[in-house]
Amino acid sequence: MSKSDKHDHNAAPMVDEISDFEVLEVAVRELCIEKGLFTQEDHNEWTEYMHTLGPLPAGRLVAKAWLDPEYKQLCIDDPVKASLEVGIDWINSMPSKFGTPSDYCNPRILVDTPTLKHVVVCTLCSCYPRPILGQSPEWYRTPNYRRRMVRWPRQVLSEFGLQLPEDVEIRVADSNQKTRYVVMPIRPDGTEGWTEDQLTEIVTRDCLIGVALPRADRKADDKRPIHKAVHPYGH
Amino acid sequence: MPKKNLNKLREKIPLLEDIGKDGRVWSDLCKQYGVENPDPPWRITLESTCEVLNEGACALPVLERRDEEDKLSEEIYKDVPYPERQLLALAHSMIKKGFFREEELGVQMEKVYKRLSAGT
Amino acid sequence: MSKSHHVEKATGIGDPQCFKGEAGKPKFGVGDKVRIRNLPDIFYTRSQMYLREAEATVVKLVYESPPAEDEAWDNTDSPEWFYSVLFRQTDLWPDYPQKFAGDTLETELSERWLEPL
Repeated sequence: MSKSDKHDHNAAPMVDEISDFEVLEVAVRELCIEKGLFTQEDHNEWTEYMHTLGPLPAGRLVAKAWLDPEYKQLCIDDPVKASLEVGIDWINSMPSKFGTPSDYCNPRILVDTPTLKHVVVCTLCSCYPRPILGQSPEWYRTPNYRRRMVRWPRQVLSEFGLQLPEDVEIRVADSNQKTRYVVMPIRPDGTEGWTEDQLTEIVTRDCLIGVALPRADRKADDKRPIHKAVHPYGH
Repeated sequence: MPKKNLNKLREKIPLLEDIGKDGRVWSDLCKQYGVENPDPPWRITLESTCEVLNEGACALPVLERRDEEDKLSEEIYKDVPYPERQLLALAHSMIKKGFFREEELGVQMEKVYKRLSAGT
Repeated sequence: MSKSHHVEKATGIGDPQCFKGEAGKPKFGVGDKVRIRNLPDIFYTRSQMYLREAEATVVKLVYESPPAEDEAWDNTDSPEWFYSVLFRQTDLWPDYPQKFAGDTLETELSERWLEPL
């Protein structure tokens, strides 16, 4: 009997094939455990935590701040406390209970204004506010984005479909130490009278990194092309 | 990274190269089976492996891993999509650092394949 | 201080929060003009090359922490103040278009990397 025979015909489709990559992932993990590099329990604990992560809490934080000026001030003054209100405990929810080099506990909310637009990059590796925004997208990790965003931000943003007028200051935040940045964009037109839930839906991951602006008619990020690095290592 | 170490990192590993060439990547499997999940089911466990390697004894620090991944992604595994590429780079780094040998990994993969084929 | 000591110290408090109060009096304040030093980085640093010797303005005192250069070796004995500093893009890149002279870049550096202007 094949794998799919056990499933009801209405169930979501699944991949009924064991790929070399799937096998490789398990084999690497098992060898690490066999060599004593970590335990199965440590691994399970991380996996469980990772399954809880995603961009929704950061989107909700922004939506709440749009509706409540006091909360917006809290986001600026004490982002750790503000995150608790959207269910994210930067310090205690991680398996390590104090942060890791990937997830130090020092979030900072960068508030856009009509004349100031923030965008986030990590030129050194790919530091990202993972506890509140989930896994980083592939393009964020590429050397192409990391090298070019600090140098030609307007060009890179226009590749993302975002053209900004001359009188708007673009401020690139390079996340090179222990602060993890989240961008709070301006609330778009056409959202008057919306609820927190409605607003949360349009604050997508790309808006929170700063490469897109929220729009009343968009609830998902556009698909991004992946560019190879122009000048690979060693050149 | 000192030049000598960089050259060593750049040496190819046949087992991983073959997987990169012949292995079926998630985007192809999705097309064939009509699946829409953007990430393969093993992506989260791979991320967890990377995290725990950076904890405790800190076998593979995060910055070193990412640096090697970047280098390998632009050279040996440049034609492999992500996250398959991240997985190959991790296995590559672990072998080059001597945590396990290529042959050991091959044997372990055989065992895992048998188990996955039988177990479901 | 060992890594396990650091873990004990940071648990339930957070990193960098666990180093609060350990760096002494900050040498710089918000609004101060500084230049980024070009220190040798033989082993490890997180202070990017493209910032070296550039002028910047301190915009925020962010936290106290051992600098990355020490922490990479598990040395957490000498925390320093970290500053968020703001650069004009035209100061970082000679060919940055003048019509976008208002564009900026913000990043963090520890005290040892800054000298007063």
